[in-house]
Amino acid sequence: MKKILLLLFMFINLAYGYTYDNLLLKAQASIFPKIIMLDKKLESKLVDGKIIYTIVYEKDDYETALEVEKFIDEKYNGHLNDYLYKINLVEFSNLSKETKTSAIYSLNSEKQIKKVAEVAQQKGVVTFSYDIDNLKNGLLFSLVLEKSTVLYCNKNNLHSQDISFVDSLYRIVKFIESKSDIQKKLYNDIPLFNSYKTVVAGL
Amino acid sequence: MQNRLFNTAILLSSLTYSCVADTDVDGLAESITNQMEHFNKVATTTKQNEHYQPYIISVFEGKELEKLGISNLKEALSLVPGVDMATDNVNTQTPIFRGSNPLSYGQSKLFIDGVLVNNVFFDAYPEYLSFPIEMIKRIEVTRGSGSKTDGVNAYAGSIHVITYAEDFEGFESSDKMVLKYGSYDYRMGGFIKTYKTEDFKIFVDFFTQEDNKKLPAGFDGLSQGVLSMPGIDNRALSRSGDAPLWLKEYSLGANLEYKDFSIKARVHEHKKGSAYGINLALPQESDRVKLPNYYLELGYNKEIGNYDIEVKGGVKYDTFDSKSKLLPDGLTFIDMYQYDTLGTISPVVFTNGIYGEHLAKQRTLYQSSYLKYNGIYGHRLTAGYRFVKEETIEMTSKLSNWSTGLPEPYDYTQTYPFFDADAKRNAVTFSLQDEFLLNDGLSFIYGFNYEQTSYEDAGLDPRISMVYQFNSDNIFKTIYSSSHRNSSWQEMFTKNNHARVGGTNLEPEKVDAFEVAYIKKFSSDTYLQTNLFYLLNKDQIHNSSANPQYENVVDTDIYGFEVEYKGYISSADQLYLNYSFVKGRSEIGDDGTSQSLPNVANHLIKGYYIYNINSRLSLSGITKYVGSKERALGDVREDAEDYLTVDAALQYRDKKHDYKVTLSLKNIFDTDVAYPSSPKTYYEDYAQENRSFLIALAKEF
Repeated sequence: MKKILLLLFMFINLAYGYTYDNLLLKAQASIFPKIIMLDKKLESKLVDGKIIYTIVYEKDDYETALEVEKFIDEKYNGHLNDYLYKINLVEFSNLSKETKTSAIYSLNSEKQIKKVAEVAQQKGVVTFSYDIDNLKNGLLFSLVLEKSTVLYCNKNNLHSQDISFVDSLYRIVKFIESKSDIQKKLYNDIPLFNSYKTVVAGL
Repeated sequence: MQNRLFNTAILLSSLTYSCVADTDVDGLAESITNQMEHFNKVATTTKQNEHYQPYIISVFEGKELEKLGISNLKEALSLVPGVDMATDNVNTQTPIFRGSNPLSYGQSKLFIDGVLVNNVFFDAYPEYLSFPIEMIKRIEVTRGSGSKTDGVNAYAGSIHVITYAEDFEGFESSDKMVLKYGSYDYRMGGFIKTYKTEDFKIFVDFFTQEDNKKLPAGFDGLSQGVLSMPGIDNRALSRSGDAPLWLKEYSLGANLEYKDFSIKARVHEHKKGSAYGINLALPQESDRVKLPNYYLELGYNKEIGNYDIEVKGGVKYDTFDSKSKLLPDGLTFIDMYQYDTLGTISPVVFTNGIYGEHLAKQRTLYQSSYLKYNGIYGHRLTAGYRFVKEETIEMTSKLSNWSTGLPEPYDYTQTYPFFDADAKRNAVTFSLQDEFLLNDGLSFIYGFNYEQTSYEDAGLDPRISMVYQFNSDNIFKTIYSSSHRNSSWQEMFTKNNHARVGGTNLEPEKVDAFEVAYIKKFSSDTYLQTNLFYLLNKDQIHNSSANPQYENVVDTDIYGFEVEYKGYISSADQLYLNYSFVKGRSEIGDDGTSQSLPNVANHLIKGYYIYNINSRLSLSGITKYVGSKERALGDVREDAEDYLTVDAALQYRDKKHDYKVTLSLKNIFDTDVAYPSSPKTYYEDYAQENRSFLIALAKEF
């Protein structure tokens, strides 16, 4: 019993940081760039005629950022429909209003997510988050592998005048309205006869 | 109000844009939906969304296990919550799920790429426990009887080993070559190779491995009165020494796919030392048991509209083949052949010992057809059958001559066989199941298996489970399932053996399982899973040295819980930890005898920690605690001692040249690790390991 207690003691009160799931990274790398194409004001966000997809990361996550870049390049080979794209890897600390970008994909960070949201809001660009929890800090989209694959969008972060999507996108996302909704994740009033594939909760 | 404005804004915005939207945009949205479905399929198949599935499951990725220095399937299974290991005198190792009948076999099922590989003789899979981890992409372990799989009843749990033959678009496996060297002169080499065109794919894996492991066994079973009887005392012939636990193995697997057709095949040769001896006397170092296992399965899978048709047919051969010196020089005993056939007693002296050659080769033919239908909104119906025909196709039984005492094996195949040469059993299982998604948060699976066999029928095994997803972070599950285990060949068809007396009138063991689980997800890859279980086992098959006849005489109630945590402390590490508690009571026979679970550890704690020093180098540790185990009734030995082991591993990975080297040190503190021996066999428990090391080199192409 002493050994059990010793072992339990070793592992209690552990904080958690983050690691990355390869399948989720690939799914996001595959789907998020397509969402940019559904932004009706994309033309105004091009940089030198190109889509600039910025991946922001903590220093320790540089390898992960490189992997995401590789996944996207393997999938899209430099073109998103008729547009050329370029991927920039930017450390959280180097991200600023001056960073030229058309969209931002954020890996995890303990303290920098709000900064990403602020920069994105100032620039009017779309943001994507690896972790759904970061939507509560102002990021716009995240993709989660639940019972089915779910694309979440934080409704409160859609109010920017520079962001507007085609209606077909709204049919495949689930909206999260507020901080508390992120915690409750939509199921307080379960719509018994809702389509489980195309539900637009909160509308 | 804000909602209405928002919705109106979106509607207006959509209407405006719809005037200018072109087919590209619609195509893009459809493409996103298709990709989400694709990733959903991958996540479901690879159990990435395991927490939303209607069973209690743990998934281990091969690459992560390699990082930990895990060498093979057995070592990987030792990390699973609620799973312990047991063995016997011929080193037939088997995982024990939640304390369920540790001296029995067939409690769990092993599938390799979906093919059931349990051998017929033991209804176990010791020949696959040494399967190298480098050949395994993923291990999915479902605990409890809720793990029915297309007509296969798993009694206490099921293990799915997925090799690198599995691939999905965008997730193709690399070719690989592996070399390993370690303690006990362990050597292993293997490779995997895939060739793929648009419609055709062939995947091949091959490995060969061997070691010369031997461990101290203490005095053998003769010291406990084995082969002694009134008037004959052979106890002085007992010897102590090392049990030969060596291994020689090779395996060649192939998976072919052409459009909707598939072939899965494996030739698996497994030869090992005779361990503690069939008759509980220490064997010679070169004495061996072979457990070859071959299978070939043809499959057809086609989706037509709302229907999904899955047809499989296959053949599996497995063999028990032992060649060994069974008893030492100078043994005196009675002529058992004469005693069993004529009833007369005649002493005989085996001056040069007793030698034996025992072979029983089994063939299993099976065919299954399942139809899945998605046409009713929210439902996925599955109906089908699985037919299995098992039979012994070859049996030889040779032993030193009972009447003369001469050592040369005499052919008793016809006159005094160890096994029924005509053993056969047919079984057909009908299955019906509905996966019902009531809404986003609530889903059910309910259905049943109904089985008839050419012996005692198990009948109906119902199952119902519910998954309630309060939100994506909080998931609840409840499961009720009934399942059964048909008696193994050994329990039914063993003959002329005074330690094991088989019987064909055995009822299947039955279990009713009640489980509840709660999963808390802290982030996309950090979770805490906890579950409670209560298992009502009926008609468990049991024999003992006092009554060697296998009988359905044990009813066991088992309850307990498991807690599993996976997460990390910083962005550079990973932590996994589980704790299992199990307790229960067995009622034996009608005489009111009862005891708490014998040979079962009430407490199991397992965990590992991986620290990624940088992108190339990682350091990891595994610790496992197995609690003490009470002995069976009548066994006067002290409880089997608890033990705590600690392993460490260092992995260097060169991404540029795609190779990795892993150095691991196992059982660093050289703790005594032993699995319980049955009463009145070996006094000492069966030792498993000393401190050891392993070096693995893997190169991907």
